[in-house]
Amino acid sequence: MTIPTPERALEAFPLSAGRLSYSAEEPSGPRTRPFVLRFARTPDSTGAADIPAHFYDTDRQVNLSYDGGLLTCMANTHSPTVPDGSTTNPPPLDEGPKD
Amino acid sequence: MSLPVLVIAANDDWPTDRVVTELTGRGAEVFRMDTADFPQQLSLTGRIDRAHGWRGELATVHRTVALPRVGAVYYRAPGAFQFLKAMTGPEERFAAAQARAGLGGVLSVLDCRWVNHPTFMARAEYKPVQLDAARACGLRIPATLITNRADAVRRFAADISGPLICKPVASPVLIEDGRLKAVYTHRLTPDDLADLRGIDTTAHLFQAWIDKSHEVRLTVVGSRMFAAEVHAGSDAAHEDWRADYGSLTYATTTVPPDVEFGMRRLMERLQLVYGAADFVVDPAGRWWFLEVNPCGQWDWIEGATGQPIAAAIADELQGVS
Repeated sequence: MTIPTPERALEAFPLSAGRLSYSAEEPSGPRTRPFVLRFARTPDSTGAADIPAHFYDTDRQVNLSYDGGLLTCMANTHSPTVPDGSTTNPPPLDEGPKD
Repeated sequence: MSLPVLVIAANDDWPTDRVVTELTGRGAEVFRMDTADFPQQLSLTGRIDRAHGWRGELATVHRTVALPRVGAVYYRAPGAFQFLKAMTGPEERFAAAQARAGLGGVLSVLDCRWVNHPTFMARAEYKPVQLDAARACGLRIPATLITNRADAVRRFAADISGPLICKPVASPVLIEDGRLKAVYTHRLTPDDLADLRGIDTTAHLFQAWIDKSHEVRLTVVGSRMFAAEVHAGSDAAHEDWRADYGSLTYATTTVPPDVEFGMRRLMERLQLVYGAADFVVDPAGRWWFLEVNPCGQWDWIEGATGQPIAAAIADELQGVS
C-alpha cells in the first residue's frame, strides 16, 4: 500500500463526529427544506430492538453483557440495523454517519 | 511473535468486538483505542528526527503500544475527541483540530497493513467518486444525476425511459424534532416530480430505477469476496432493503466473473482493503453497482449467512492470505 503523504493524511482522519447531533428543531418549509427530506421518516419502532445492558471490559477490550458473555451478532439485538426513532438508543445503522 | 494490531474504533462498536476476539483468540496482541478517549484517557508521544521515523507510543492506564511495532491497523468509525467540560466552544474546536492533525497525522503515517486507511476511506465515501470509479472499472451503473436545479431533474426524467429514484448523496440519517429519522431510497411519483421545491437548497441525487430480481450485498475483504443475496419481503424493502430489515431473507451466492473482475479493479482503484458493496440484480441476471461503503456494516450479514467475515478481517490484519 502506498502511504499517503502527511499533507494528504491531515485532510482525512474521519471521525464519527460524536454520532448524530440532537435537535428539537422542527422542519422548515418546502422552499427551504431539501427536497429529499420529504421522504425522511421515523422508522417503524415495532421492528426495533433494545440494546442489552452491557459494559466495556478494558482487559478484554470488548463489550460484555451484564448477563455474561460477549455481545454477539450486533449486540444480540438480531434486528440491529432497525432504528426506532429514539435518539438515545439507535442501534448501529447499516449506513450512517461515519466521518 | 506477531506484531501488535492497533484497533481504532468506538468502544461501543460491537462488530469490532468480534474482530478483537478473533485476533486475541489467535494469540495476537491488540491495542484497541477510541479517539473519543483522546486526550483524557489516551496519551500519545511521537518523535521524529533525521535518523528515525516516527517513534513513541500510545498509552492508556491499561496498556501501551510502541508506534514502530504496530503491524496492522483496523480503522472503523471511532468517536469524536472528548475534551474537558470547562473548555469554551472556541477552545474545544481549536483543540479538536490540533488533536485531529496531531494524533490523526501521526497514526496516518504508520507504514503497515491498514483495513482501511482513513485517507482512502474519506475519498471513497463520496458516491460520485464511487460511481465514476465503478464505471471506469467496467461495472454496470445506473444513469445518475446530481444537481440543485429543478429543470435538470425534469430533463433527466424525460431522458430516462422508466421511473426515477431519489436518495441522499451522503448520510441518510438526521435528528430533528427530537426524533431520529432516516431517508431511504424513494421511487418518485408524478406528483413528486410536479413539485420540485427544495431541489435548489442543496445537492440531490437522482438515478434510473433498475427493475430488481433481488439485491446483493458483496462484502470484500482483501482478495476474498462474500456475496449474499438479499430478498425483499415487502414493498418498502423492495424499494430500499434498509427500510424493512424484518422482511429480508438472505442466501449466499456467487459473483459473476465480470463483476468479480470489475470489483477487484474498483477496490484497487479506491485503495480499499475492505468494502461493503450493494448491487441490484435485474430480472435478466445482470448486476448493477449501486455503491461501495468503505465502513459498511458486516456483522448482521455474517450472522445471517455464516460468512466468516470477522475471520477474514483478522486474516487481512495478520497478513494471512
